Amino acid sequence: MSGATAPAVAFFALAALAPVVVRDAFLLDGLVLILLWGSVAAAWNVAGGYAGQVSLGHSVFFGLGAYSAALLGTRWGLSPWIGLAVGAVLAIAVGFVIGFLSNRLRGPYFVLATIAFSQVLLIVASRWRAFTSGSEGIAVPFRPGFWTLGIADKRVWVYLILALAVGVYLVQLYLERSRRGYQLAAVREDEDAALSLGVPARRLKVAAIAVSAALTAACGALWAQYVGFVDPFYVFSVDLSVRFALGAVLGGIGTALGPFVGAALVTTLETYLRARFGGIGAGLVGIYLIIYGVALIAIVRFAPQGLVPWLGARWRRPAAGTAR
Amino acid sequence: MAGRAVAPARGGHRAVSLLSVAGVTKRFGGITANREIAFDVAAGELVGVIGPNGSGKSTLFEVISGFYHPDEGEVRLDGHRLTGLSPDRVCRLGVARTFQKLRPFAGLTVVDNIMVGALTRTRDVRHARERARALLERVGLGDKAEAHAGTLSTGQRKRLELARALATEPRVLLLDEVTGGVDQRTIPGLVQLVRELHAGGLTLIVIEHNMRVITAVAQRIVALYLGEKIADGPPDAVTRDRRVVEAYLGQAYAAPAPAP
Amino acid sequence: MQVIPQLLVSTILLGGIYALIAVGLTLIFGVMRVVNFAHGEFLMLGMYLAFWAFALLHLDPYATLVLALPVVFAAGWASYRLVMRPVIHASHNVQVFTTVGLSIALQNLALVLWTADSHFVRTSYYAVVVRLGPAVLNLAQAAAFAVAVLATAALFAFMRWSYTGKVMRATAQDRQAASLMGIDTGRVFALTWAVGVTCVGVAGILLAPIYPVYPTVGLQFVLIAYVTVVLGGLGEMAGAVVASLIVAAVEVIGSYTVGTAWKEALYLVLFIAILLLRPAGLFGQRGAETVGA
Repeated sequence: MSGATAPAVAFFALAALAPVVVRDAFLLDGLVLILLWGSVAAAWNVAGGYAGQVSLGHSVFFGLGAYSAALLGTRWGLSPWIGLAVGAVLAIAVGFVIGFLSNRLRGPYFVLATIAFSQVLLIVASRWRAFTSGSEGIAVPFRPGFWTLGIADKRVWVYLILALAVGVYLVQLYLERSRRGYQLAAVREDEDAALSLGVPARRLKVAAIAVSAALTAACGALWAQYVGFVDPFYVFSVDLSVRFALGAVLGGIGTALGPFVGAALVTTLETYLRARFGGIGAGLVGIYLIIYGVALIAIVRFAPQGLVPWLGARWRRPAAGTAR
Repeated sequence: MAGRAVAPARGGHRAVSLLSVAGVTKRFGGITANREIAFDVAAGELVGVIGPNGSGKSTLFEVISGFYHPDEGEVRLDGHRLTGLSPDRVCRLGVARTFQKLRPFAGLTVVDNIMVGALTRTRDVRHARERARALLERVGLGDKAEAHAGTLSTGQRKRLELARALATEPRVLLLDEVTGGVDQRTIPGLVQLVRELHAGGLTLIVIEHNMRVITAVAQRIVALYLGEKIADGPPDAVTRDRRVVEAYLGQAYAAPAPAP
Repeated sequence: MQVIPQLLVSTILLGGIYALIAVGLTLIFGVMRVVNFAHGEFLMLGMYLAFWAFALLHLDPYATLVLALPVVFAAGWASYRLVMRPVIHASHNVQVFTTVGLSIALQNLALVLWTADSHFVRTSYYAVVVRLGPAVLNLAQAAAFAVAVLATAALFAFMRWSYTGKVMRATAQDRQAASLMGIDTGRVFALTWAVGVTCVGVAGILLAPIYPVYPTVGLQFVLIAYVTVVLGGLGEMAGAVVASLIVAAVEVIGSYTVGTAWKEALYLVLFIAILLLRPAGLFGQRGAETVGA
């Protein structure tokens, strides 16, 4: 675990430096997305990696954040920051319910439950025309100003999302090194053994899911403001949920930097392919998704810890006496 | 056996009872794993629990430690009701246990394993690490601090599990088959460790199959058979008790030679 | 009152198809303890198989069904060897991500190869209706139902009376004991997977004349399948059949009362209710959900 902070510092420093050097709006946009998807993958990692509660329904939180910001902004003219806060609170509430289920359901039952939640909200959001404009989605108005998150300058967005990313990174780091982190690791490894040592496993799992939910919702709210449009079929989709998990699994589930690396790879590939093939055959763009699918299968089979630990192990010379 | 300040209690009537098991009954469908089990453990006692497979020893431990809730009866620690509490609450109140099928946190290092236990008593990670290292030395695993728990031998895992449970600063420690599955050479070391813990004032309840070990360290033995308590007294008396001999030891059993 | 026989008929027809899809999924879970998140994609592939056979070779889907059955089975076996076998002893999470990865890969393979356009298998009898008392059935649906029921019955008979079926059930009950008895659990898993995939692939072929064919068509069916298998009890085949009828009823009655827009919400709510109240399902063992994989 020690020594992992150096690469992270490098990663974030690079991101901080980029807007100074790069002017191209397209590249900056790519950077914002890398940091955003990295943040949300890291948020997923809090529940899926550190607490061991793999969910394929995290889009429910993302969507709650996105819709809160969008609805509060369009209907009542409230600042998206308030929308973010409201979204986070709603997400925590749903997180508590899912957390409760995580203590009653194991394995595939829990995964299916998380999927069900996101699909229920998808249907509600896409059908409730009166409130959410139904399947048309919501266009987020652009009102210039920081309080309204109406920012045209991509560089400002980079720093804004970078702040979010560093925040989520630090939350993960806390989970690695703190008392709660050790306890969660124990719960991950063997819940009953952890209970016998006085670890309040059930409470911790619920708390981890709630924190993950709030962070994911925050990402959703910011994303809505950045992209400017909220489509229920996208923000509550299973595909999106899988994407969050993909970043973390690919990069290093249960490591603080892993999700950012994984999301960076995924987003870069996607952006490149979109740019290259977007116009011609939109079908060809699907190739990157085939690559994800295959990559996911390959990673969990050959390097289940993820790329960052795998690379880390190859980088360092194996120390004497520590077998893996 | 020097250093023991508390006189052994017979049935727990005279000495102050630290842990009391009263009328504990646990059923699983048609099987009654524990039937009206009752005994007291005085502070500082080392009580052995013996019985053939299926007699309900492990179930009893699960009940005491809070993993199972009994259908009837209760368990009290120093007057506080333990029954109905979650296992982590029971541990925080002062009852720790080891598992018969060892359960190390394989992906964590040895010192991290013990820290999990230590962190139940302290919020400070550094302090917990110090305590963990001290306990490592205590159980003889000092040089294995940074090894991954999954790489340890069975004997080493037993010590790890012991150290981990001790890190929670228990008032009563439940040991489930501490000598099970280890080779003959390792046993004396483990037994010595248990003796030292007891000498230090720790209250222990020990499930054990190895008769030489248990008769040597226990002040009192509770014998279970088919879910019921059939004997409760000093080792010599219990091993000669007719019911125990018939149920568990076989007809032609003679008292064992003293343990090394 | 007039509408009840129609609702009943629709429920049974739909339930029969759902049963075939669900039974394969629950079989895979029962024997292998794996939830196949790619189950819907095999349905989709079955539909595309029927479509291309129809479009290129002018084969009626029922002919395709008979001719392609070995192909579907072989594809199932191959996907097991290639994708599932390496992770069959891995942790539950690894298996989840493996089938999820397979699902993504297959969906988008179809998208890249055949575009997102919907295709239709317009057989000559596609619009024929049959009257059954006060109810009206679409012939294609009725035929699909009949074949689905036959297939499901054949599967049950196989599981109940054949030696291989018994071997599979034994492995489902206790993997270790089965292995100790000399059963090659690896082959059992391959067979189970192939059978499960074949069931849903056949369901796809049967559905091609009735529903539009597009790369993500698997998603809506598989969600129903999840609800069904959980309701019936993961691993319980008879339960899956009963649950299929219940879910079909919910859908049919739901469509009739609150409209097709909200009917999905109904069975999702049903799903969450089951998970909250009785996760083991109707026929599953109480507490099965706490053991998980």
